[in-house]
Parts: sequence; structure tokens; C-alpha cells
Amino acid sequence: MAFIASVEKSDLPLGAILKVETEVGPVAVCNVDGEFFAFSDTCTHGNWSLSEGWLDGHVIECTLHMAKFDIRTGCVLSPPATCPLKTFAVEDVDGEIRIELPAPDEGGEKK
Amino acid sequence: MPNPYSGGPDRSMIDLVGGDGGEINPAIYVDEDIYRRELEQVFGRSWLFLAHGSQIPETGDFVSTYMGEDPVLVVRQKDGSVVAFLNQCRHRGMRICRTDCGKARSFTCSYHGWAYDISGRLVHVPLEQEAYHGEIDKDAWGPVRVPRIASFRNLIFGCWDEAAPDLETYIGDAAWYMDVMFDRSGAGSELISGVHKWVIPCNWKLAAEQFASDMYHAPYSHLSAVLASLPDDASPADADWPQEGAQFRAPRFGHGTGFFASERGWEFNVNTMGRTIVDYLAGKYSDAAVQHLGELRGRQITGQHMTIFPNFSFLPGINALRVWHPRGPQEMEVWSMILVDSDAPDEVKAAYRDRITRMFGTSGIFEQDDGENWVEVQRVLRGHKTRQTSLNASMGKGHTEDRSEYPGIVSGMFSEEAARGFYQHWARMMAGQSWEELAQEPASACGKPDSGS
Ligand code: FES
Ligand code: FES
Ligand SMILES: [Fe+2]
Repeated sequence: MAFIASVEKSDLPLGAILKVETEVGPVAVCNVDGEFFAFSDTCTHGNWSLSEGWLDGHVIECTLHMAKFDIRTGCVLSPPATCPLKTFAVEDVDGEIRIELPAPDEGGEKK
Repeated sequence: MPNPYSGGPDRSMIDLVGGDGGEINPAIYVDEDIYRRELEQVFGRSWLFLAHGSQIPETGDFVSTYMGEDPVLVVRQKDGSVVAFLNQCRHRGMRICRTDCGKARSFTCSYHGWAYDISGRLVHVPLEQEAYHGEIDKDAWGPVRVPRIASFRNLIFGCWDEAAPDLETYIGDAAWYMDVMFDRSGAGSELISGVHKWVIPCNWKLAAEQFASDMYHAPYSHLSAVLASLPDDASPADADWPQEGAQFRAPRFGHGTGFFASERGWEFNVNTMGRTIVDYLAGKYSDAAVQHLGELRGRQITGQHMTIFPNFSFLPGINALRVWHPRGPQEMEVWSMILVDSDAPDEVKAAYRDRITRMFGTSGIFEQDDGENWVEVQRVLRGHKTRQTSLNASMGKGHTEDRSEYPGIVSGMFSEEAARGFYQHWARMMAGQSWEELAQEPASACGKPDSGS
């Protein structure tokens, strides 16, 4: 079954990234030109928060060693990371941004 | 009775400045061993200016600067506090951050990728499991922290020495004189963005000492700059400077300042500083300053030069701000900034940027005069005989004045009282005197003869 985490839309102005603690580990949720995206907050290269990173369009850049990911697909765009990021479906329900998460025992985040 | 303050652990350092700072052995400007000792005893123990708070307003904002020759990063933290740490990676010593300033979320060494958070904690070591077998203690290998950080009027200082007095005590009576520049209207101050930096071949003390104590050079060294600024139809009498003023020598810790104090205000300088700034300082915009600081500091003190020991100097009113970073005994790096009151009108801020760059920027017309003197003093010291020849800093010795309107030790505006204060404190630090000893006023500072020399 799917878990839901949510944040207030008003907490996410254009260009903002928020870190949300969830049962499957920290998740980053951001607002790109009015569209919302959610992905695993922990860089797949080291233990560092991507919500600390630089968001440029649909690309998040980790500040530690500059790995880049496409936040729509989780694809690695630049090493040293090699594993893709997990991404999560997002729904905008009356000003509430709902993030759909896998159950912890269904292969959720390990960290 | 021997003077207890001129002896101490190393008498020879005190002798280098003639006991009371009045006769200078030029070795202090050229000698390598003295220089290394200076980095340890002076720069390793004094409160040093790091940054103005307006340079790093938000979390992660940082500037990269130096404490002596030690590079440090000065970073604003999430809770608003400021942290400074050596800009030296603990792995193999690479400079962690190679840019002058910016906004960071973390700092990553470009050599092997060790990464630090904005407080300088080592947070990531590449291949920590695979190569270090999980055995590295990351908490123990962050860059070395500057243990003491404190602010005065939004000026951020750092100090390596746990035994040093707090910043307020260190600045002491000098605060009253600093406020002419840093607390003029009560609204605070800010830097005009951008630090001009240049390297010139001279010892840092030549500049620091001059800003502490030397009004004497101005009518000679800067005459051509003043004349060049006069309009064609002006008479030379328009360049007539005030004759009244005073010099302050900090009773302790080496600071000094001097200035004109005259009802004529800044008018004498209108050709160099321009109408906008002069009106701002002493004309129609100056009521707030008079209300805040009184008539004397709000309007009458002009042409002020000042050094907070060892290497932080400024010109209140002109609002040029300097750090003289030592680069070996024969070279320094000048970092030059311009300060404005936060509540100054925009046209005043713009006038400061233009006029002060023209006067005291890299190629400023006044800057050239000063730099030329210091560099020539240094070049002359390439000689053998010149290095054996002592230099005179005795002006006004024994002639301090009782002036109740001014705090600290006061003398006439043309004096080397503050230079002697600067060199005597320098020598006592070099001799390794403890802060308890340094906190005691030397007998010679009050114009009494130094019986120990
Ligand atoms: S931790 Fe993100 S790139 Fe290394
Ligand atoms: S020197 Fe910095 S990581 Fe090796
Ligand atoms: Fe000068």
C-alpha cells in the first residue's frame, strides 16, 4: 500500500526545495515553474542532502561533489554518482502537495 | 628601578624599537626571523579584522580572507552566528575553497573530494568504507577552527589566542574614535560591494603605523594630489588645511588615531571629496550625526586616520577601509574597501564609490603618494649601511596633553605618540609578554621617560 507525505503548497514558492522526513527516509520536494516534483533527498554518491543542492530547471546538483540528477526521472546526468535517484509521484490536492511513497517494506529508502 | 615593561622574556625585541618605540631598528622591516616570529606572536595572538557583517548577511555567505598569512574562511551559520576556520584541507593541505566570496551549502576540497559543511565539520570522505575501511574519525579531521570570534559595530574579528582579552577590552578607548566612522548615525554601516586588492613591495608595518599616527606626511606627500584637485580658478589658499586637532594613543594594545578638529568641518576638502560628500558629512545632512555623536565627533573631527593594531586601518569620513596582509617582511597585500552609513541617501553612496576609488583605490591619487613612500623606504633597505641605520620616531615625546574631551592618551595632531604606542606594543608582543603584562600601561606612554632603556 502507498503512504502519503504532504506539504503545504504555500511553503513551496517557485524554485524552492523542502526536505520532508518520511517513513522511508528524507524526501526532497520542489517547485519548478509551478510544477511539483519529489525525489529521494539523499545523494546516491554519499550521505548528503540534495535539498541543500542547487536546483536549475529540472536538474539538481549535489553541492558535495557536483553529481547531477534529472528530478523528473532520477537519471544521473553527471558523475561521481552512478545510481539513479528514486522519484515519487506528486499530486496537488487543494493547495496540499501529496507525495506518494512506497511502504517501507516494499523496497523503500534504505537510509 | 628597571622599567618592568621593557624587560621581560626577550629584551632584544624591546631594544629594536629603542625601548619606548621612539627609535626604530630597520631590521623589523626586513628580517626573515623577525617576520616568522611576528606571524606567531603578533598575528597569532591579536584580534584581527576578518569581515564586515554586511558582506555575509545570509546563511552560507562566506568570505575568504587571511589572518596574517593563514588563509581562513569566514562563514555565516544558520543561527546567524559567524564561524571561521583555516582554509586548509586536513587530508593533504589543499586550499579548501578557492574563490574570494560567495554563498555555500558546503565546501568540497577539489584535490580528493573531502567535503565540509558550512561550520567546517568534515562530512564526507570519498571511499570511506572501501579505502579507509570505515576507520577514519571524521569528527577529528575538520579544518582548524578560529577559537574566538566577536563583533564590534558589525566588524567581525577573530583571534587565535584563548588568553587574549575580549574584543571590547582590546579595543578599549579606541571605540570612541572608531564611532566617528562606524556608528555615525546610529543606523549602522555597510560595505560597498567589492574588495580591491593589490600587492606592493613593502613591510605591512609602514602602512599600519602611518594610519595610526601620521598626519605629518599629509601636507607634503599629498600636496600634489590636493593641488591637482583644485579648480583652475582656485587660489592655493583654498587648499589650506585646519591647524587644530589631536592624536590619540591607546593606553594599551597599540591602537592609534589622529585628526583635525575644527569648526570648518570638511569644507577644506571639498575639491577632492566633492560637494555631495562634504554636505553629507558636515553640511545639511549631518544633523543626525551631531545628534547621535555630538558636535565634536558628528561634524568637527575630520581628516581622521586610524589603525586598530595590528593591521586594520581606516579613514573616518573618507570611509576608506584597509587590511594590510603581511606577505613576507618585504611585501604586503592591501585589501581596500569603502564603507557607507546604511541610511545614507543613494547619491551619497554613489559619490563615495566614485570619489574614494579616485582618491584611495588601486590607482587613487592619494594612494600613489603613500605607496610610493613605503616602497621607497623598503627599497632603500636593500643596502648594508641603511640596515644599520636607526630611524627616528621621537616627535612629541614627553608632550602629551590633558584634554578632557578626549579619552586615552592625547597629544598634538602632529606627533608620533601613537607610532610609539604601536611599536612599543608590537615589541612587547614580540618579546612574548603575557596578556596580563600587555594589559599594563608602559610608563613611557604618559610622557614619562622610560627608565629601563
Ligand atoms: S555526495 Fe553527492 S556527489 Fe558526492
Ligand atoms: S587534500 Fe583535500 S581531499 Fe586530499
Ligand atoms: Fe597618506
